[in-house]
Amino acid sequence: MSDNHDEHQHMNIPKYLGIFGILVVGTIATYFAATIDMDWIFPGANTLVALIIAFTKMSFVMLFFMHVYWSSKLIWLSAIASFFWLAIMFAFTMQDYVTRGTGIFSV
Amino acid sequence: MASHADTHEHYHQPGLQHQFEDMKQQEESVSIGMWLFLVQEIMFFGGLFTVYLVFRSKFPIAFAAGSNHLDAFWGGLNTLVLIVSSLTMALTVYYAQRGNRNMQVIMIVLTMLFGATFLGVKAIEYTDKYNHGTIPVDGWNKKTKKGEKPEHASIVLPFETKVSAAEAKPGAEEHPYVNERGVFQITEHDLELVAQEKDTLTESERIGYYSGDVLDPAKFRDKIRIFFWIYFVMTGLHALHMIIGLGLMAWLLWKAWTNTFSADYYMPVEMSGLYWHFVDIVWIFLFPLLYLLGRHFLH
Amino acid sequence: MQNADVIGADFPKEPKVNYLTNGTTLKSWLLTKDHKRIAIMYLISVSVFFFMGGLYASAIRLELLTPESDLMQSGTYNKAFTQHGILMIFFFLIPSIPAILGNFLLPIMIGAKDLALPRVNLLSLYLYWIGGALTLFSLMQGGVDTGWTFYTPYSTTFSNTFVMAVGLGIFINGFSSILTGLNFIVTVHTMRAPGMTWFRLPLFVWAQYATSLVMILGTPVIAITILLLAIERVARVGIFDPSIGGDPILFQHLFWFYSHPAVYIMILPGMGVISELISNFSRKKIFGYEFIAFSSIAIAVFGFLVWGHHMFVSGQSIYAGLVFSFLTMVVAVPSAIKMFNWTATLYKGSILWDTPMLYAIGFMGLFLIGGLTGLFLGSMGLVVHLTDTYFVVAHFHYVMVGGQVIAYLGGIHYWWPKMTGKMYSEFWGKISAMLVFIGFNLTFFPQFILGYQGMPRRYASYPEELQVLNIFSTAGASVLGVGLLMPVVYLMHSLFYGKDAGDNPWMLPGLEWRTSSPPPTENFETTPIVTWEAYEFGEESGLDLEEAKRREAITTVR
Repeated sequence: MSDNHDEHQHMNIPKYLGIFGILVVGTIATYFAATIDMDWIFPGANTLVALIIAFTKMSFVMLFFMHVYWSSKLIWLSAIASFFWLAIMFAFTMQDYVTRGTGIFSV
Repeated sequence: MASHADTHEHYHQPGLQHQFEDMKQQEESVSIGMWLFLVQEIMFFGGLFTVYLVFRSKFPIAFAAGSNHLDAFWGGLNTLVLIVSSLTMALTVYYAQRGNRNMQVIMIVLTMLFGATFLGVKAIEYTDKYNHGTIPVDGWNKKTKKGEKPEHASIVLPFETKVSAAEAKPGAEEHPYVNERGVFQITEHDLELVAQEKDTLTESERIGYYSGDVLDPAKFRDKIRIFFWIYFVMTGLHALHMIIGLGLMAWLLWKAWTNTFSADYYMPVEMSGLYWHFVDIVWIFLFPLLYLLGRHFLH
Repeated sequence: MQNADVIGADFPKEPKVNYLTNGTTLKSWLLTKDHKRIAIMYLISVSVFFFMGGLYASAIRLELLTPESDLMQSGTYNKAFTQHGILMIFFFLIPSIPAILGNFLLPIMIGAKDLALPRVNLLSLYLYWIGGALTLFSLMQGGVDTGWTFYTPYSTTFSNTFVMAVGLGIFINGFSSILTGLNFIVTVHTMRAPGMTWFRLPLFVWAQYATSLVMILGTPVIAITILLLAIERVARVGIFDPSIGGDPILFQHLFWFYSHPAVYIMILPGMGVISELISNFSRKKIFGYEFIAFSSIAIAVFGFLVWGHHMFVSGQSIYAGLVFSFLTMVVAVPSAIKMFNWTATLYKGSILWDTPMLYAIGFMGLFLIGGLTGLFLGSMGLVVHLTDTYFVVAHFHYVMVGGQVIAYLGGIHYWWPKMTGKMYSEFWGKISAMLVFIGFNLTFFPQFILGYQGMPRRYASYPEELQVLNIFSTAGASVLGVGLLMPVVYLMHSLFYGKDAGDNPWMLPGLEWRTSSPPPTENFETTPIVTWEAYEFGEESGLDLEEAKRREAITTVR
């Protein structure tokens, strides 16, 4: 049974601590990014930055803490598919709401 | 049970169930099953995030105002606590793979400790909401008569901009906190926010906050109430998942204590780990989406 | 000489222990992890729910016999159609084929000993029971009158009924179907027998796989939606009810995000059964195997992109409506691919008119009508006239009853010898299949005309001009009822008095026909090694079907 442990030899304690460090830095960064007004770039820039940091953190947790990086294609697929389906739900719900009011879509 | 007669006849490995040929097949099945369970969990929380998305896109100012009632310090602290617990969970799996029983037990205990800390902080925050009349259901808040001072459970940091800090500004004395029937309340400060943003309101916000041309505090309050409803449902369901996770950890602790796991059989640890990390990921998104809206620039 | 050998081989050996005789105590059933026993328990409980849903249906049809609301008041009528919908959809249609036939056959068809996660399978049965018991309890306490869709504000402001309890029942039942789906996907991925490649899987398995995808990706959304609705009802604060600042359209979005894909949960498994029946009873390899397999997956995926066609007149934006309407036309394509392939399979096949095949042919006709009228309802302009009329009712009954129920009955008849080891009466089987077909058309075809003439659904009374067609419909419903009750009688009869079916009564090459009937607890005595393609009737299948047929003929003559 030793053959299927090779995948775990990729991670060791310093690496775990490194990922942990990245996550902590991400948390602090997201906190302070929120105190800077970025609305002058475009509306919602703050949220975008916060979400980018959150996605980065999530990727590190999934890839290394949850060992997706060394997992089978099917597990990659199920992880990606769930976010794809979330995107379907968000996009197809919002396409209704954003085309309702006034503006170029006004009826 | 008769159907299990075979199990004992060809008993290859500890923990190998009868329907599988070997451990590899069992591990693969269990791990795919767990990931599919997580997919369903993602869609479960996805419904909540859709609700959040729709209402936030409709009423951004109300959401920013509501978010300013939350204490980003506690939220951030909890994020860190969960990340540490994720680290200890990952290390639990690491030590389980190496069959190191003592380190496993230590790491599981640490994970449980941090999980409990998270719930404790959550309790402090909920109490704070209760004291400040921001639980969205009328009558479920603390009933405060004239003259009583509300309790502050929150810590004000130098760079932190908070509603409680705004309350301490001159002028707050003339409006002491009174909430005789425990209703959901917003502050003058929230109304100032929306007044500042008067010119940039979207159509749906204008309909949502104004009666005719006049800002309607009751209508605006109801939009902030929606934010808090979503906040309590999301964090509440997340906390429920944490509690289930703690239950799992307790079971793992017992298993690890009795030296069940070895380099050949550690799937339960790994699967519980996946669940724990998933709960952490949900919080990684909840923290910026709930606590960090309009932190600075709306003041 | 030779005859004596052959017959000698057919002499009854000592009865083998099969899954039914392996343990006879109640405990050995309730705590079993055997997928076949769980399927049988599902069969019994789902039938009970089907029967109760049928009672509500007959009450509705009786009420609609006359134009006035005389048998029931409007309030009672609201409850009757709501409960008919809830029982039929959540407790019959969704679990019917996956939880019964899928549970029983999927592991056997891929050559596995059991599902990958047997304990999870048992848990899903218990969740089904708990959810069902809660729902039945609240129906007896007074029921719900919101419509099966639980639209707000019907379910919030204007309802004083047991929305919470029924909602909780459906919430729990939802997890039952999630766990079933999860189990199927894992099983198909990891438990296939040696040689059973993806493109050797029977199409029934592909259909179950596609259904399971929908169950896992869709069902959690209805669970959270119903949970939010329940919290809203407790707290009287929330996000769906317009009177407290909520958004009822958001409820509909979330509801249909699951419930539209759920109609594919209700038809995809049926399509899987029909693929089996059409190919096997034409004695011909199915035409376009890959197309049918991938069209199942395509339906599962595209099914998630069209939910807005339930909301064309709800206040959804016109642009969203356009997108949803277009995608609805797209999702019809994979279903059409299946229809063409089935028809092409029949072409020049040697068709056997056994009872299951009668159901399969009935399915093709009825599903064709159901599917094509679906396109009417997917067109944004036409639906303004047809929405919420009996045209809609007729359409979805053609798909759900004409599709899934008929496929389910066909499947039950087809696999009954495998499940029980007994053969039912072919004569009564054919009679019942034809009664169901005639009764069904008589019930629901008039409703297309009624709907087109403008009779709205969900009312207890209607204008007198429409009575003739309604009488036709009610008369048809009684024929349909008789047709549906008959199998209960002759199938039960066959359990005690039916002749032994033998291991392969239909002379088919599928893996499930290569084990004994009823199968042993571990399905196969030795793990099978698959060397043939699916639906292989020639020598390559490794079975000498011609020889078997000859033997059969000899034994029957004697």
